[in-house]
Amino acid sequence: MAEETGEYETREEYEMSILDRISDRLIDGFASFIGLFKKDWRRRNQSRIKEWKLMAYAVNRSPPTLLGLIIVIVYIFIGIFGPYLAPWPYDFFPVNYNYSTQLAPPGSTYFLNVTQLQNGYIIHYTTYIHYMLGSDTYGRDILSILLSGARTALVLDIFIILIGPTLGIILGLISGYYGGAVDETIMRITDMFLAFPGLILAIALSAVLPGRIQNFLNAHVWAQTFVLKLFALHPRDVNNLGKLLAVFVALVIVWWPGYARVTRGSTLTEKENLYVEAARAIGLPTRTILFRHILPNIIGPILVMITMDFGGIILTEAGLSFLGLGAVPPIPDWGNLINQGSQQFPQAWWLVAFPGLVIVTVVLGWNLLGDGLRDILDPRTRRSLEFKLKKKSKGGEASA
Amino acid sequence: MPEPIVEIKNLSVYFYTYAGVVKAIEDVSFDIYRGETLALVGETGCGKSVTSRAITKLIESPGKIVNGQVIYHRDDGSTVDLLKLSDEGIREIRGNEIAYIFQDPHSSLDPLYTVGYQIGEAMEVHGKVRNIKEGIAKAVNILREVLIPDPENRVKNYPHELSGGMKQRVVIGIGVANNPRLLIADEPTTALDVTVQAQILELLNELKRKYNATVLLITHNLGVVAETAQRVVVMYAGKVVEIGTVDQIFHNPLHPYTTALLRAVPNPLGKIEKLESIPGTVPNLITPPKGCRFHPRCPFAEERCRKEVPKLKEIEPGHFVACHRY
Ligand SMILES: Nc1ncnc2c1ncn2[C@@H]1O[C@H](COP(=O)(O)OP(=O)(O)OP(=O)(O)O)[C@@H](O)[C@H]1O
Ligand code: SF4
Ligand SMILES: [Mg+2]
Repeated sequence: MAEETGEYETREEYEMSILDRISDRLIDGFASFIGLFKKDWRRRNQSRIKEWKLMAYAVNRSPPTLLGLIIVIVYIFIGIFGPYLAPWPYDFFPVNYNYSTQLAPPGSTYFLNVTQLQNGYIIHYTTYIHYMLGSDTYGRDILSILLSGARTALVLDIFIILIGPTLGIILGLISGYYGGAVDETIMRITDMFLAFPGLILAIALSAVLPGRIQNFLNAHVWAQTFVLKLFALHPRDVNNLGKLLAVFVALVIVWWPGYARVTRGSTLTEKENLYVEAARAIGLPTRTILFRHILPNIIGPILVMITMDFGGIILTEAGLSFLGLGAVPPIPDWGNLINQGSQQFPQAWWLVAFPGLVIVTVVLGWNLLGDGLRDILDPRTRRSLEFKLKKKSKGGEASA
Repeated sequence: MPEPIVEIKNLSVYFYTYAGVVKAIEDVSFDIYRGETLALVGETGCGKSVTSRAITKLIESPGKIVNGQVIYHRDDGSTVDLLKLSDEGIREIRGNEIAYIFQDPHSSLDPLYTVGYQIGEAMEVHGKVRNIKEGIAKAVNILREVLIPDPENRVKNYPHELSGGMKQRVVIGIGVANNPRLLIADEPTTALDVTVQAQILELLNELKRKYNATVLLITHNLGVVAETAQRVVVMYAGKVVEIGTVDQIFHNPLHPYTTALLRAVPNPLGKIEKLESIPGTVPNLITPPKGCRFHPRCPFAEERCRKEVPKLKEIEPGHFVACHRY
C-alpha cells in the first residue's frame, strides 16, 4: 500500500510544472512556518494545505491570472516599500535650486546647488539628479513620485475596500435574508445612493468634506499621526490631509451600495436552497446562517468584484485627482501627476504617459486576477483539476 | 392510552402573496403520539410541508402562522406551546428535540462544508460537543450508524463527492445527531431512485427503534405508509379530512377523498385493481371552495356540503373524519 502511494506521488510530480513545484515549496514553507508556532497545525490542516496547493495549480495553469497576480504583488510590495525605495523624497523640490529642472525630459541629468538648513547651520553642496522618467513642474523626479504615490493608492484601496464592501455585504445579507419591511428600508436607502452617479456624488462629497475633516484632524493629534504614518508623509503636510481624506470618505460612501445590491440579490436566491432551511431546522442562529453558510456560498462573485474594485478605486481616485479634488501637491499621487501633465500636454508627455501607464497596468493586473479568481474560487473547478492531475498520473502508470 | 408528544391545535398558516392570501392550511388539528410513526398523506400542495414546518415555527415571510397552538410534551411531563416560544427558545428545540429530514438531499447540505463539519455543527450548536472539531470526531460514529461505508474517510468528503443515497444518509445523520425525540421526515425518499428508497426507509425505522424516537413521516407513497406507519393523517386542500390507524384508513376509509386516494394508487393492502384518477383538480387556496373543500370533486356532495364546513368527528375509537355523511 505504502509503495503504491509512493509511486503515485512520483507520477503526479512528473506531471507538475516548475511553477507547481515552486508554489508547493512556498506553501509547504508557509505551513512549516506556522508549524513552528502552533504544534501539530500541519497535520491537522492537511486538507487545507492540499486545497491551497490545488488553488496554486489552478493559478499556474492560467497565464493571465499569473500575470495579474504578479502585477498585484509588485503593486502591493511597492505600496508598502515604495516611499523608502524612492531615490528622492516626494517633498524635495529641485526647482528651488536649479530652475531648469522644471519639466525635465526623461533621461536628463541636472546639477543642483543645494542650500539647506541643517542643525542650525546653513550648508551648501552640489549634487546631481538624474531623471529617468522626467520631472514635474516642481522638478521632482517622476519615478520617485510614482513609487511614493503607490503608498497613497494602496492605503486608499485597502481602507475603502475594508469599509465600503463590508458595510454593503452586511446590509445586503440582512436585507435579502429578512425580506419584508427591513428589505424595503435598506434597499430604498441604497437606491437613494445609487440614484446619483458614483463619480458625481464623490465629486460633491470631496468638495464639501475637506474642511470638516481638516478641523477634526487638527483637533486630534493621534489621528494626525496615524494618517501621516499610513501615507508615509512628512508632518509638514498635515494641512494637506483634509482633501485626501475627503476623497477617502467620499469613495467609501460611494462604494457600498453596489455591494448591498449584489449581496442582497445573491442572498435572495441562495436562501431558497434547502440547506438554509435545514440550517434553521437544526437550530442555528441567524448570525451563523448568514455569515457561515450564506456568505461563503455567495462570496465568489463578491470577491471577484472586490478584486476588480481594487483597480476601480485607483481609477476613480485618479479621476478625482485629475479634476483637482483629492490629493494636492506635494502629496505624491498618480492622478495628481496626470492633472499637472494635462496642462503641459503634449510637450511634457511623460507627466501623463508614465503615471497613466502605471495606473493602466495596476488596474489591468487586478482585473486579470479577478477574472482568474472567478474560476479558482469555485471548489468544483479545483476538484476537477485534482481529478485531472490524478487521471494523468494514472494514465502514465497504465502506459508504463 | 397513548400519550401525545405533540398536540397540534387549530393551526392556520397563511401566505401573503401579491396574488392574494394563500390559506395554505386552516384549522389543522391532530396529535402525534410518543413512539409512533405517524404518516401525513395527501396530494401535492395540500399543506403537508407547511404543517410540518409550522410545528417549530419554520414558516418564513411571506408566510405567517395566524392561529393555533402546538403543545409539546417535554420528557419531564411539562408542556409548552412551541408557537409562543421566543426565537431563542424555539432554536433550542429545533434540531435538538425536534429534528427534520428534508426531501432533497442534493440541496439540504451546504456544498462548501464537509459532511463531518455539518454533522459536528448540528451537535455544537446544542452544546452536545465543545467545538466543531470534537463534533467531527463524533460524526464518524454517526456516519457508521447511518451505514455509510468507510466513515473515517467519508467525514472529510464534501457533499458533491457523495451519491444521492449517501447524502440522504448524511442528512439523516444530522437529523439523529442530537438524539431527537421527534423526527420529522418530509418525503425523505422522493428524490432518490427506487432501489435506494427502501434502504433509506429501513434505516429510518431502525434508527427510530434504536433511539426510541417518534417519527412524523410525510409521503406520497401509500405503500410506504402501510409498511412503516401506525397511524395516518389525510389532508386535503389545507384541511385534515381523516385520521385513523393504518388498518382503519386502508380497510375502512370513510372520507370520499381518502377512498379516491386509495383507488388512485395501487393499494398496498388490497388486491390490485384498476386505478382511477380523482376527477377535477386541487382547488386554489386563495379562494378555497366554501363549506367542504372537497365538494367540487365529491360524488356525494349535497347542498349542506357547499355551505357548512364539516367538523372532525370520531366515528370509531381513534378514527376521525370530517365529512357530512357521518
Ligand atoms: N412561500 C410560499 N409562498 C406562497 N405560497 C406558499 C409558499 N409555501 C407554500 N405555499 C402554499 O402552501 C400550500 C401548501 O404547500 P406545501 O408545500 O405544504 O404542500 P405539500 O403538501 O408539502 O406538497 P408536496 O407534496 O408537493 O410537497 C401550497 O398551495 C402552496 O401554494
Ligand atoms: S362533506 Fe360532503 S362534499 Fe365533503 S366529502 Fe363529505 S360528502 Fe363529500
Ligand atoms: Mg412538501
